[in-house]
Amino acid sequence: MGQDQRLVSLSALREAETARMEASCIRCGACFEACPMVPFSAAKDADPVGAVVGVLDLLGGGAGDEASRAWTAACTRSGTCNEACPAGVDPMRMLRLAKWRASETGALPKRDARDAMARAKVFARLAMSEEEQARWL
Amino acid sequence: MQGASAAPGALQGREIPHASSAAGIAGPSPTLFWYGCNMTRHAEIIRLSERLLRCVGTQAEPVGGPGACCGSPKESEPRISEAMAGRTMDAFAARGAGKVVTWCPSCHMNLEDFMAPVSGAAFTHAHLCEALHEGREALRPLLTRRVEARVLLDAHVGFNDRAEVNRLIPALLRMIPGVEVLEQGYRGPSYMCFGLAGVPGALDAHKARLLAAAREAGADTIVTIFHSCHRELVALERDHGIRVLNWVHLLAEGAGWDWRDDYKDWRNAPDPLAAMGAARVEAAGEEAVRRLALPELTRPR
Repeated sequence: MGQDQRLVSLSALREAETARMEASCIRCGACFEACPMVPFSAAKDADPVGAVVGVLDLLGGGAGDEASRAWTAACTRSGTCNEACPAGVDPMRMLRLAKWRASETGALPKRDARDAMARAKVFARLAMSEEEQARWL
Repeated sequence: MQGASAAPGALQGREIPHASSAAGIAGPSPTLFWYGCNMTRHAEIIRLSERLLRCVGTQAEPVGGPGACCGSPKESEPRISEAMAGRTMDAFAARGAGKVVTWCPSCHMNLEDFMAPVSGAAFTHAHLCEALHEGREALRPLLTRRVEARVLLDAHVGFNDRAEVNRLIPALLRMIPGVEVLEQGYRGPSYMCFGLAGVPGALDAHKARLLAAAREAGADTIVTIFHSCHRELVALERDHGIRVLNWVHLLAEGAGWDWRDDYKDWRNAPDPLAAMGAARVEAAGEEAVRRLALPELTRPR
């Protein structure tokens, strides 16, 4: 299936999800309070509601505030936010999409993954036989 | 496990929404063992997984590496990430995949959340532990070798809602004579250790709490679930005297199969290049090994 045969573009999927999240989030802050990564971030003393409002701003292409950027950057998809959310927003996905958007707008720095694939290839050559490399890669 | 009905002995799996047909592809649809891109460090886990799947009646073709990436490593550049994911879905479609058995939780979640909704998929999917648990009665008679181990699982809070790794893997390990999987309430943040490594203080805190939990529970073995956890935790064996295995290693040990954890040996060696051996380093390209692999193997513990 080529690019022109996709069911939907990722951009369209993201836009639809963004609209759904902005409409359904009740800004209660329960997701922030449930997150086990907050204590490791500069958002640890932030107001939960303010952090959520900031994430929604990032999601919409804004700059957010320091707390929302720190929380978004620290998200590791634990998923405890989803259990805490009373509105079925899927905050874990909301933070992920906010991180993507913030990477595009420059609100958050891009992850440096320049060598990730080259490193995977080197380890393949170290760990796999030639026959396995031919079959598995 | 959700999923469509399948022939007896065949792997069940989830049906992905927006499934499209694999038009034009004749013959039986192959099962793929999609190990992801970063599992290239752990070839023995791929070998053992393929063998375990065969034992439960699933002939699966391993596929992964940079050419079959879900896009995660590049997700701060969504357009590149989307292109990588799309290429992988195209490759699966070209092979006429009927089932995809996943290893990597990032791949598994990306498949469900973005790849299948964007590209469509003509295959069902399940995580490896689900596939093996489903076929556990075929595994049971193979697990005859006694392994004395008091095990603490490196469990995390994430991903378990997608595949019940924190329940199914202990259930599999308990089939090995001598293995005691200890109950301990600690669950690490994230869904595997990789994410924690990028947040200052988070991985060190997880390792400290995991070691404390192991001591409290009387464990002599930490069992990792995913490759990135294994990568981050194997150094505990050298520095803290507790054995660190992956769950697949432990099943293999219970079956009496030979295996060797090269990555752990390299990471824990005083001189990783010497541990690899000159011939292997030369075959892999010494400059690339020094530039790309060595910094990872010698990073702070």
